[in-house]
Amino acid sequence: MTGNHRLRLHALLAVNGNHSVSALTRICSLAVMELQVTGVGVTLVSRAGASDAQQRLVHASDAVAARLEDLQLTVGEGPGLAAITSGAPVLVPDLSAARSRWPAFCPDAQSVGAAAMFAFPLTLGAIALGSLDCYRTTSGALSGDHVASALILAEMAFEALLAEVAGHAPDDLGWISDIHAEVHQASGMVMYQLGISMQAALLRIRAYAYAHELAVAVVARRIVDRSLLLDTES
Amino acid sequence: MNDHHEQRLARVFVELADTLVDDFDMLEFLSMLVERCVELLDVAAAGVVLSDHKGGLRMAAASSEQARLVELFAVQADDGPCLDCVRTGVPVYSADLAADELRWPRFAPAALAAGFVATHAVPMRLRRNVIGALNLFKAEPDGVDEASVRLGQALADVATIGMLQQRAIDDNTILVEQLQTALNSRVVIEQAKGVLSAHGGVDMDHAFAALRGYARSHNLRLSALAFTVADGTADLRAIMAGADHPARRAEQ
Repeated sequence: MTGNHRLRLHALLAVNGNHSVSALTRICSLAVMELQVTGVGVTLVSRAGASDAQQRLVHASDAVAARLEDLQLTVGEGPGLAAITSGAPVLVPDLSAARSRWPAFCPDAQSVGAAAMFAFPLTLGAIALGSLDCYRTTSGALSGDHVASALILAEMAFEALLAEVAGHAPDDLGWISDIHAEVHQASGMVMYQLGISMQAALLRIRAYAYAHELAVAVVARRIVDRSLLLDTES
Repeated sequence: MNDHHEQRLARVFVELADTLVDDFDMLEFLSMLVERCVELLDVAAAGVVLSDHKGGLRMAAASSEQARLVELFAVQADDGPCLDCVRTGVPVYSADLAADELRWPRFAPAALAAGFVATHAVPMRLRRNVIGALNLFKAEPDGVDEASVRLGQALADVATIGMLQQRAIDDNTILVEQLQTALNSRVVIEQAKGVLSAHGGVDMDHAFAALRGYARSHNLRLSALAFTVADGTADLRAIMAGADHPARRAEQ
């Protein structure tokens, strides 16, 4: 199946690694090649407390993709924003058929050349960071294989964004895919116990795991069975 | 099989086929499927895993939120009947898990520890499209009986057709959106369980029961309520107040 898919994409990202260019921008470029779309951009959900610099930073493979991101944020609607809200991909093979769904977005999007858009949320349950938005100048669906690639790339973008928030370089690609129910449960517990956001709770668990050289799943298990209580100093 | 049972069965099939509705919620649909399996089949537990499109399998629904059952599906990311079943597209089973530790070095011990001695996974497929698997568990020896396996496969088949009915002209579009929505909702539910568990000092099973009870009595979608819990906007006290056994506390 797509067992090697993830490894291949991780390897491609590393190979393309010009580290002065952010991981997100590199993921956008990789996505263009892999998905055979015209351009890719990332919509970031601005959060209270996010630095101004992060909010203004545009990650996109080309000017049209950047324009589409701007447009969504300006009119407050579009496939990317819909994906963030639903937590699921929003696949629009033909933007002209979606005009009634996003009347403020579609006409302008089409006028800059987009005919199809495929948005993949950068979310993990209630943790929402943004969306990876792909556009094509020709209409038509995204193939099953390309959808699979896009989901993996979105996961990589999510990891890269979390790393940025936590203030370190993206590493350990794929750690999100290793997460199962107990880690989500532990995130909820830590969120409640420390009065922090779900995103901060997940990062706290991971930081503890790294500091103590334990698997994230092991730390989660201990939190859930209450043999470990993270405090504000952990 | 008596009349009452037959009627019940007929109603369940209709329930599973009735998916062409605007507000179709895949997660609730799959939860209903596993509940019906435990009611109608001679099994101790049931669960559904779905392919996540990224090469992995994720739990979508389980007949109980007991940690040990939920965990069995996380384990099956590495080995287990569901993984084999989805890869091959055919049923995979073990009538004696203690004898199958070599076959499934992670899953078999975990299943035994959870109190199950036999398992049977049937594919959720339509022609070549295998979207996941229905996993049945028994706590007594001798394996899942033939009648239960046949009926389980029939339920899985009807459910799969029901899910794939939602497909539009483009093969993938709606199905991918719905499957991913279900999987993301599942994550939200786990996060919400954690929040409620910490708030109420109860285990995950009871946290889930409180969540579901409140959703039902207030006519809310489980996934929508879970989201409010996970994003910190819900009234946790109100949700826990409806719980059946608030006195059951987690081990300290």
